[in-house]
Amino acid sequence: MKLAEAPTLSLEAGASHLTEVLRGYASAEGLPPSLREAWQAHARQAHLEALFLDQKHKEDWKYTPLSFLRRPWKLAPPVQASPPVSLAFSGQAAELVLPSEDLPALRSLPAPTSVWEALLTPAASLQHYALSQEGYFVLAPHGTGELSVHAATLSVAPGTQAEVLVAPSGSGFLLVRLHLDAGEGAQVRFFLPAGGGAHDLFVYVLVTARLAQEAQVETYDLTASVGWKRSEVRVYLSGVQAQAHLHGAAIVGQGSVVDHAIRVEHAVPHTASNQLFKALVYKGGHSAFQGRIFVHPHAQKTNAYQSHKALLWEPGAVAYSRPQLEIFADDVRCTHGVTTGFLEGEMLFYLRARGVPEEQARHLLAQGFLEEVLSRVPQEALRGWARQAMGFAE
Amino acid sequence: MLTIRNLHVSVEGRPILKGLNLEVLAGQVHAIMGPNGAGKSTLAAVLAGREGYEVTEGEVLFEGQNLLDLGPEERSHAGLFLAFQYPVEIPGVSMVQFLRAALNAHRAAKGLEPLDTADLMALLREKAALLKLDPSFLTRSVNEGFSGGERKRAEIFQMAVLDPKLAILDETDSGLDIDALKVVAEAVNALRAPHRAFLIITHYYRILQHIQPDVVHILADGRIVRSGGPELALELEEKGYEPLILPA
Repeated sequence: MKLAEAPTLSLEAGASHLTEVLRGYASAEGLPPSLREAWQAHARQAHLEALFLDQKHKEDWKYTPLSFLRRPWKLAPPVQASPPVSLAFSGQAAELVLPSEDLPALRSLPAPTSVWEALLTPAASLQHYALSQEGYFVLAPHGTGELSVHAATLSVAPGTQAEVLVAPSGSGFLLVRLHLDAGEGAQVRFFLPAGGGAHDLFVYVLVTARLAQEAQVETYDLTASVGWKRSEVRVYLSGVQAQAHLHGAAIVGQGSVVDHAIRVEHAVPHTASNQLFKALVYKGGHSAFQGRIFVHPHAQKTNAYQSHKALLWEPGAVAYSRPQLEIFADDVRCTHGVTTGFLEGEMLFYLRARGVPEEQARHLLAQGFLEEVLSRVPQEALRGWARQAMGFAE
Repeated sequence: MLTIRNLHVSVEGRPILKGLNLEVLAGQVHAIMGPNGAGKSTLAAVLAGREGYEVTEGEVLFEGQNLLDLGPEERSHAGLFLAFQYPVEIPGVSMVQFLRAALNAHRAAKGLEPLDTADLMALLREKAALLKLDPSFLTRSVNEGFSGGERKRAEIFQMAVLDPKLAILDETDSGLDIDALKVVAEAVNALRAPHRAFLIITHYYRILQHIQPDVVHILADGRIVRSGGPELALELEEKGYEPLILPA
């Protein structure tokens, strides 16, 4: 059934329907016994069966429009058989565990550059999971108009570096669930791009990460006008000197919803986290940000920073921002800054007074606003992709 | 070059300029001095086309063209430049990006092709050296993290790049230490030319010791109440505004 022909349910009926679908999925029927247990644990962790209805978590969904749930989502058949994937990075070598029937979907990527090329041609060859020998993990699900679930657990060995790219494309509702265990001193970067005008793409990415001593995680969430995207990142800093640096830049156009739900837990002393999120919201766009910093009672010398800025491009743009700081230790430094507002007239005048025509001046200012995040993306190809997808290519 | 006749300007319904007349010829440097609240910055704002200023009477001609009919960018293309009193920070936009956009818009208005990158960079480096600005500032975001003095020098740098016919310096000297003031003054003096005019708005005699004006005006309560040669600035410095702006 094409999406356009889908009958419309009430929101409640749609959510119950989805819950049923996901509950069936979480039962892991049809999976080999060796994988079933792992998948069930995964599903529990992801609250898959109760994501959208769980009363306990209702507050966390308060500012997230869910009207797309009114569609009677069906699981996409090929994905139903797709099992969880476990990966272990160890030095330069990587081990990928997959059942034999999925092997054709596995692509070997000889050099990191080809990973980025694949990203730049969306809807291309990368259907499911791919992995190089370089410590790159790529998850590029291509939606075919239905619901699909994609999950992976990554264990990154002590002292190792890994980069993880999650690049959904196509159409439909894609649930992506990743869990990271970062060993001592491991460094892991997540790149979470989506967009390029895919208005029939609905993406829910849930990343959980547990960091051992001196481990570091970075996330770069880059969204350019998708139908709906919620990126939920939960980081648990469980070892001293562990660090999390979380970034997001989003263009939220007409009819688009972009939602960031961040939770960083500082569980031990001497850990650091940093959140920098920016959203440029056009008329008819909806941006939401929830950023929770939770500092445990013994987590002294925590250093946590959070910044969220929403730029409302014109009347009719909507942005919610909800910083939450829960601090139970007394010797910490936690700062946060949240701003939501329209373009500063003084900036526009300054550019015009130098001869830059108004439309071009606005464009430059829009780019400048997001550039604070884009310029920090440590992958040139992805930076280029984001600028292009957001309409800032020079 | 610039002719202002009987200019009346209100801000939020409150009259600020009340019949201002001024004639600036090509090649001249005019200084406008006056006490706080006299309307100096309003004059600069209304000439550059800032929003929120209502012209209730009078006219402004720039090279025979009605300036008030033009948008801020068109005034810039026509050759007008305002060095801002408080230059705003533009995060994420580098000085190179900014001036490339500005210069190419100026060139497009003259029917010229965009400048290629090599020529652009050569021009920017040359003018940065004139203002003793480190070339690294070209790749930094416009005015972001600049000190007050750096911002003012960056304004004059932009002026040098855009090569205007009429430059208005709105209290460019305030907040400058003596070394920075000399750098700015030297750059302005280097740019003095028969085809170019300057309007220097200031509170202080100090800058006029370094940039010799042709005409000094005293602006008080929205009108020019006295005009004279450079000696008028000195007289102001010695006596203060009060005796000079009181009706004779």
